[in-house]
Amino acid sequence: MMTCKQVSTLLSHGDLASASWSRRLGVRLHLLMCDKCSAFKAGLEAMGTWGRALSRTAEQEAPKDLEARALRRIERSES
Amino acid sequence: MSRRRPSLTFEWGRAGHRTLYDGAVPGRTDLVASLRRRDAAALRTVVDENARRLYRAARGMGFSSDRAEDLMQDVFVTFLHTLDRFEGRSEISTWLFGILHHKVQEQRRAAVRDDMSDPIDESFEARFDATGNWIRPPVAPDRLAASAQMTEALRGCLDDLPSLQREVFHLRQIEELPAADVSDVLGRSVTHVGVLFHRARLRLQQCLEKKGWSPAP
Repeated sequence: MMTCKQVSTLLSHGDLASASWSRRLGVRLHLLMCDKCSAFKAGLEAMGTWGRALSRTAEQEAPKDLEARALRRIERSES
Repeated sequence: MSRRRPSLTFEWGRAGHRTLYDGAVPGRTDLVASLRRRDAAALRTVVDENARRLYRAARGMGFSSDRAEDLMQDVFVTFLHTLDRFEGRSEISTWLFGILHHKVQEQRRAAVRDDMSDPIDESFEARFDATGNWIRPPVAPDRLAASAQMTEALRGCLDDLPSLQREVFHLRQIEELPAADVSDVLGRSVTHVGVLFHRARLRLQQCLEKKGWSPAP
């Protein structure tokens, strides 16, 4: 049985997909039984959601012609 | 809502090539060759594919809108000037993110904190007993909390992150780049990228908890 510390560490490293099959199964079983680690996981997921929202907001501030401006700058640097 | 475009994925060493999008884009070898000739269509393809991602990443690393645009443009200029060094072992987008990483470091003119130990590790350890069970368990985020409010809280917490952790958070969490790609971008091992991501998220979680992301007990 994996401990809470092992499970939360694996989750927050963000590379569970590359862990062994038995580790992944261990994490899934642990999460089914552990509210605390499930809360930890929910926190990580919420950060992703808010982070993407923040990024979208920043992206909306980009000029509409961002690409064209980049191409003009490249052209200037090449001439 | 922005839609993720397909990444520039090439198939080195295979006969033929894979198109990117619109069916008008040359294959990888051809694309790089076209870029070396400064072919306008090839250049436009690379810019269209990556400009907003780079801009978004620079914003995510804490730069203002103007500075983020400057940085993004500098990345393309450097990319073209260093194209001869691009061996094609990684995707063009990964190479571009690598250039951005170096420019961000130059901009900050400070050694990026990359300590082997980090106080957040002790803080995390202290939340468990000797058998690995939670002593100070995490609190689930309040699903009812206004998203705009939490997004704003996260912005403040991101500003307090060490820059390398902030970069890893953006590349892994927002851009959803695989750990191996981030390892290429930063020139650090995959394990180290995992540690930096872990530390970044623990710090953010700690910061957000302080800002009251949970319902009142």
